[in-house]
Amino acid sequence: MFPDPCEDSVPWYNRLNVVNLTFLVFLLAVGFSLPALEGSGRDLNYWENLTRFGAKFFPPDLSILGRTLTSLWETFQIAVCSTFFAISLSLLISLGAAQNLAPKWLVIMTRMLLNMIRTVPSLLWALLAVVIVGSNSLAGVIALTFYSIGYLGKFYSEAFEAADVSVRSALSDIGASRMQAFQYGLWPNVKPLIWSHSLWMLEYNVRSASIIGYVGAGGIGLHLKLYADSPNSWDKFSTVLLCILFVVTLLDLLGERIRKRIKQRLTGKNT
Amino acid sequence: MRIDNVLPLLTARGIGLRLDGRWLFRNLDFSLLPGEFLTLTGPSGVGKSSLLSCLAGTRKPTEGKIVRNFPKDKGIAIVFQDLLLTDGASVLTNTLCGRLNRYGFARTLWGFPEQDRIDAFNTLQELGIGKLAHKWAAETSRGEQQRVAIARALVQEPALFLADEPVASLDPARADAALSIFQREARKHGRPVFAALHDPRQVEKFADRELILSSNSPEDWTLQTVSRHVS
Repeated sequence: MFPDPCEDSVPWYNRLNVVNLTFLVFLLAVGFSLPALEGSGRDLNYWENLTRFGAKFFPPDLSILGRTLTSLWETFQIAVCSTFFAISLSLLISLGAAQNLAPKWLVIMTRMLLNMIRTVPSLLWALLAVVIVGSNSLAGVIALTFYSIGYLGKFYSEAFEAADVSVRSALSDIGASRMQAFQYGLWPNVKPLIWSHSLWMLEYNVRSASIIGYVGAGGIGLHLKLYADSPNSWDKFSTVLLCILFVVTLLDLLGERIRKRIKQRLTGKNT
Repeated sequence: MRIDNVLPLLTARGIGLRLDGRWLFRNLDFSLLPGEFLTLTGPSGVGKSSLLSCLAGTRKPTEGKIVRNFPKDKGIAIVFQDLLLTDGASVLTNTLCGRLNRYGFARTLWGFPEQDRIDAFNTLQELGIGKLAHKWAAETSRGEQQRVAIARALVQEPALFLADEPVASLDPARADAALSIFQREARKHGRPVFAALHDPRQVEKFADRELILSSNSPEDWTLQTVSRHVS
């Protein structure tokens, strides 16, 4: 080992930067959180419990495949509709939350609104929607639309902030109006990232739409609740889970391919 | 070309620019006449790009006055040194951006008129990049992007051109071809060109006059007719 030439001349705290410091704080937080691992204190055989319960899931009962797929289709429809409405509304809202596009007062207000929306979990949005429009798939669409706006609004505004605004300024310099400069100088550069976030949200909403049925907001979640509450129906429950896993994996692979292709085009690596 | 008794399109009267406590140029007087090709030369960091941005109106000179004598709707076309193309838009759309000043937002919301698209494509063809029309700008090489930036300026059909190192990324043959098009714009349509160039051969071949900024002193600039003009 070579001696550190700075050891004597530079104080130790000069080596602290935001990464080191946050990592240190995180390690401290882990230390303080260890009591959460204590458990109930009862003498339980965890492994035996797991294998006994896990065995109930196999083999999956495929006799319910037909109606499971029907519900899965409804779940997919809820996810697609809610993602569409969330994209449309988030685009408008995010313009108000982007520091390089909106005045400061509007940014603060919009971000507070987005934070409030994000604070409410999807199940709570679903409960609210069920109370308002009743127990059906519309409740699911409303719930996931609001839930998604909290995230997409944040992601989109960050995408706008990360974009290079010099092209927009250049178009203004050669005579484009403010809106034209935005449409032709900024939007095309942000669009791929926004589409990438939207695809991710769609994948996420398929997963979320699978669970909100638990509180009556339509989709396959209702089946999950039904089989979880019925005695000895875990084999049916596992069929539902496998169907969800199949759709989510398929969407994940598709989204990954599309995102990769977008990245390639933007970085010009396929030329 | 004859430059007497012609009303200048743009006149700089005693302009000077001070940046970070340092004068880049002072007491600069010159005019840009219809039909002429004026080049701007000088060592790096002497203030060529800053002078061009003053003339474009994107930077205010510290002293002096710039008089523009052309209809506002014609405008100035600028070839930026950094090109400033929209990476995620097609080459054709980037070129069409030169026509944005002709229309309101509603007219260009869903695209450009057919004639503009034809004009833009023909300009790209002339610059040898017609086949790239539907590629994203990000997918093209630096040299191709430079030609897109030139095409965007050309389709604008402006009152005058300001170009900051417009052919720096092109090989000599393509650079000459692009500068020939600028020269034709000046001669045929009377749209003067003011271009910062670094290659003396290009200055000699295309320029009518040359404005030279010096790093010795902010006031030590020279405006001269290019004597050994080869056309």
